[in-house]
Amino acid sequence: MSTLEILVVGVIAIVGVGLYGLLITRNLIKVVVALQILVKGALIALVAAGDASGQVGLSQSLAITVIVADTVVGVVGLALAVQTKRLLGTLDVDALSTLKG
Amino acid sequence: MTDWLIVLTIGLPWLGALAVWLTGDDRPDQQHRLAVIFSVLAGLAALLLIPSAGDTVALRIEVGSVFGDFTFVPDGLGVFLAAVATVIGCLAVIFSVDYMHGEKQLGRFYSFVLLFIGAMVGLVLTDSILLLFVFWEITALTSYALISFYNDDPKAVEGGIKALVITSFGGVGMLVGGLIVYAYLGDYQISTLLSRADELPSGVLAALAFGFLIAAAAKSAQVPFHTWLPGAMEAPTPVSALIHAATMVNAGVYVLARFYPAFEGVSGWTTAVTLVGLVSALMAALMALVATDLKRVLAYSTISQLGYMVYAVGVGDIFASQFHLLSHAVFKALLFLSAGAVIHSVGTRDMREMGGLGKKMPFIRNVFVVGALALAGLPVLNGFWSKELILEGGLHDGPIWAYIGMLVGAGITALYTFRMVWLVFYGTPRAKLHVHPAGQMMRLSTGILAAGTATTWLLAGLFGELLENTLPFHHLHVEAGTALLGDVIAAPATYLALGVVALGLLAWQYRDALGGLVTSLRPIGDAAAADFGFEWINRRVVQWATTAGESLRAFQTGSVNWNVAGIVGALIVVLVILALGA
Repeated sequence: MSTLEILVVGVIAIVGVGLYGLLITRNLIKVVVALQILVKGALIALVAAGDASGQVGLSQSLAITVIVADTVVGVVGLALAVQTKRLLGTLDVDALSTLKG
Repeated sequence: MTDWLIVLTIGLPWLGALAVWLTGDDRPDQQHRLAVIFSVLAGLAALLLIPSAGDTVALRIEVGSVFGDFTFVPDGLGVFLAAVATVIGCLAVIFSVDYMHGEKQLGRFYSFVLLFIGAMVGLVLTDSILLLFVFWEITALTSYALISFYNDDPKAVEGGIKALVITSFGGVGMLVGGLIVYAYLGDYQISTLLSRADELPSGVLAALAFGFLIAAAAKSAQVPFHTWLPGAMEAPTPVSALIHAATMVNAGVYVLARFYPAFEGVSGWTTAVTLVGLVSALMAALMALVATDLKRVLAYSTISQLGYMVYAVGVGDIFASQFHLLSHAVFKALLFLSAGAVIHSVGTRDMREMGGLGKKMPFIRNVFVVGALALAGLPVLNGFWSKELILEGGLHDGPIWAYIGMLVGAGITALYTFRMVWLVFYGTPRAKLHVHPAGQMMRLSTGILAAGTATTWLLAGLFGELLENTLPFHHLHVEAGTALLGDVIAAPATYLALGVVALGLLAWQYRDALGGLVTSLRPIGDAAAADFGFEWINRRVVQWATTAGESLRAFQTGSVNWNVAGIVGALIVVLVILALGA
């Protein structure tokens, strides 16, 4: 197996874990964790693609941008989880139906 | 020089829009003055553009490889329509000084009117389909904003939304068309499409041709998209005169004429265009015959006259179509503005309450009658020449059944025109209405338009020459001025049409004696009053879309698990398709 193939398999595995987490969990904190795992898989794919196509600089700069955005998503997500727990007393996403029109 | 004139004709109204907006509504006199100054300057710039008309790109703005160059070509078709848009635009603005006197939010009104004028000029002068689409949508947007100007009136808001939705529906066709052209020819230029249309696969070209026909029918309020124009009559009258008679509604006909060389070879296209024109002309004329709202009669009459222009494109007579567009813009703006003066004076649009107004408003009566005679197609006035040219073209190059239909339409036009004039200005007053005379500015603008109605046909030769010399793809054979008019006089089509027009007048004169015939035609009248059921279909479509949206909403639960399941499902479908394809 070449390095690229190993990377592809790894990426599929990590993204799969993330998606699976998102599919089954209802706990808001676990949703944020699953999302983080998913994005990390995508990041590895991005860097691997940059290496394979010879555009390492481009993929690195994109990866850094994604990391920044991803950090913000994580922080805001967790902050929302904290507020939800405070206001509603639960972390179950199904309970968040107050926005339903 | 020419490039600067183009910049000025588009830029001056837009600059004016900004200036009026910034002046603020607490200084209305200043706003009136600025609007008039900027619109008149734009009109002058557009008139100066006519002598420098040519068929080459006069202004090129490079915007990078993705969008292609934004180019402007001042050819005959473009400069004449730019002149129509700005000159009638400035007359409508002058009229508004009286008409909108004392109204609140003048800044909003004038800004949108001026924004519209600039966009309309851009629309007719640009050579880029992408830019054409942008200007096309700006005209739709300003039309919406102006129809809904009295935004505390639900009818006005509804009319505006209807106009926006239907004309934008056409805009989608135009955008798709532009993208197809880019995909196949690698360029957004109209001239590229016209010169290399035969390189497109025939199916693609046919899709393009019919897509543009739908776009044009929606914009020009042709069947079955005509229902928005009567609703648009909730706009202040100068807006109706400018947008819904003289300029925006003409954009559809303009597009058909502009792209005609590319599409004329598509099988069935010209027949479809002829049919759309014929049906629109006849149906709208019948609806005008039974309508009781003065502005709606004029709106239906506009649909009908646009039908004549579309028909002319269908039979391949581009010159007659565009010449009638010019004539119609002048006399219909006159009719709308003088109707506006009447409505402004008596405070109602219902013709059943009017009558005998001619004695109290002699000036407005006189100019209105001039416009009405042109609409009816009586000799000497501009409407006569251009309509005769269309009918002559139809007799020579079109199917005979369509020609007979258009001839009947000419008779009905004369009939409803005289009904309207009679109900408003003659006979005995039917209700006690307080009448005050029209203002100076109203007289000035309608007076100029009346003079134009009597004289613009003299431009036929110049207009024809310009079109012939500057439209390389259209193969027009236009005779010189006097020969052209002589041709009209000598043509048998003219006498046939005049006979039919006279029949229409006689029918109105002896309407009492025709009682039995009128009763037997009652069902047709009722159907016409009910808009031949198109309004019903319209409402059904809206209802269906709303219900469908409501039911689809159930799928949007907002639940993370379901959303992710959807994404994973879609991903699997894409992967399977890719695997099967590979």
